[in-house]
Amino acid sequence: MEDLIRDVLGDPLFMGCALVSLAGALTVVIRRNPVYCALGLMAAFLSFAVIFLKLSAPFLAAMHVLVYTGAILVLFLFVIMLLNLSDKELGLEHPRRVRAAVGVMAAALFGLVAYVAAQDARLQRGASALSAEEAKAWGGVEHVGMELFTKWELPFELISLLIVVAILGAVVLAKKKLPPEA
Amino acid sequence: MTKYVVLSALMFAIGAFGAISRRNILIVLMSVELMLNGVNIALVAFARLWGNVHGHVFVLMVMGVAAAEVGIGLALIIALFRTRRTVDAGELRDLRG
Repeated sequence: MEDLIRDVLGDPLFMGCALVSLAGALTVVIRRNPVYCALGLMAAFLSFAVIFLKLSAPFLAAMHVLVYTGAILVLFLFVIMLLNLSDKELGLEHPRRVRAAVGVMAAALFGLVAYVAAQDARLQRGASALSAEEAKAWGGVEHVGMELFTKWELPFELISLLIVVAILGAVVLAKKKLPPEA
Repeated sequence: MTKYVVLSALMFAIGAFGAISRRNILIVLMSVELMLNGVNIALVAFARLWGNVHGHVFVLMVMGVAAAEVGIGLALIIALFRTRRTVDAGELRDLRG
């Protein structure tokens, strides 16, 4: 436990990212106005991208910003602005006591996982350091691409099929039924 | 590496709290995205720990599925809003026994 605290305190970039993502995540689950929640989610996403960079995953960091921040979050904001919710349409929230009880359960879940993770010796030992030339290419486009298009070719094709189906489904669901021109 | 796993667990727990305790469907969807992102952090951390990029490929799959899910979820919310004029999950009671 003390090693964990010392590890976090000695790593200002990680601490900054963790604080920003914590603030963003709490904004998402606490605020009533959905636009504020979307902004908190954006802060969390960007701090996750920085953490990916720190974990030698530059391709994933770029993909994260493009897909999550650049597409999913923008889609959320489109829908929020399109719905243009008044206070009445926004609805009520659960009473404070219910939310506090759920909060306690979520804290218990987090405590359990964090406790088990902190005991693990392999995690504490940390990752092996990369040599200078390895660090340039590791987790980059070629590395992930070689893995994705040789070994994981089938999941890749299935994901593209899934996305096409999702697009079709979204168009069908959200399409407005116009009266037929008789 | 422990700190990354702990951060991932924190994000997952906060997302779970939001998904259960909020009534606004949009914010429930955002909380589910937060949970998925927590898992992504853990996957990337373990990929770095074990020294292969299988974790990265898994994260790409998770990102693809999350994008598809958000697209469909938001389309559903729009279709729902058109008839019900509310995004309050508590108002959706038609299937209740």
